[in-house]
Amino acid sequence: MHRKQFITAIVFTLVLALGAISVSAATKTVTIRVKGMHCGGCASSVTKALKATDGVEDVQVSFEKGEAVVKFDDQKVTVAKLREVINNTGFKVVEEKSGD
Amino acid sequence: MVRAIALGILLMLSPVAALAQSKKAPALSLKDLRGRTIRLSDYKGKVVLLNFWATWCPPCRAEMPHLVKWQREYRGRGLQVIGITYPPTKRREMRQFIQSVKVNYPILLGGIETKALFEQGETLPITVVIDREGNIQELIEGILLPEEFEQKIKPLLR
Repeated sequence: MHRKQFITAIVFTLVLALGAISVSAATKTVTIRVKGMHCGGCASSVTKALKATDGVEDVQVSFEKGEAVVKFDDQKVTVAKLREVINNTGFKVVEEKSGD
Repeated sequence: MVRAIALGILLMLSPVAALAQSKKAPALSLKDLRGRTIRLSDYKGKVVLLNFWATWCPPCRAEMPHLVKWQREYRGRGLQVIGITYPPTKRREMRQFIQSVKVNYPILLGGIETKALFEQGETLPITVVIDREGNIQELIEGILLPEEFEQKIKPLLR
């Protein structure tokens, strides 16, 4: 009986812990302004590099607007890393505004 | 009966699959920066990466140091990178950039029609991967990422 209660307590604790992890691992969205994109080809290079980054869930890059809208898991990747990935494509990040 | 139909479908599809996997690279003959004629056939037996680039293309310039590194590291295993310029390109600017990144592979002067032999879109850079038998294995649009090199090119170098 005591053993059963012990196991139940452990399972309950694990469920709570997992719940807490899933709550904290939220998907976030950031809009990053990118300088120097002049055509769809430029946008596709940025899209490709971002999509290959671990933690990135969705990417919309527009050369007309000069921006990249990135949905990402903030437990796996940071905005600083996303900026670095874009800079490594040869374009320049100019500023960012974040949302949720 | 079912087996016979399945076999028939398989036989019908296999030539299509084979064709899709082994498209022969076109004969290509272009001038380099010194005016010498370079032919793609000069590199028969090598794994060739035809990299279309332009000085005005930021991702092309960002990618070139990686190509230089791979050419240096895998030359002994049969890798040959060939850069092909895409217009408009100023020769002086091109030479300066090539020197600044210490390009260690041939740069050939291409035109819109050269790239159109492989790809009609507007994407730059693009890299055409040609195997040792002269077949086009891949057409990689955008920067050639290190993971793509590992997955798509390294296996051809064995």
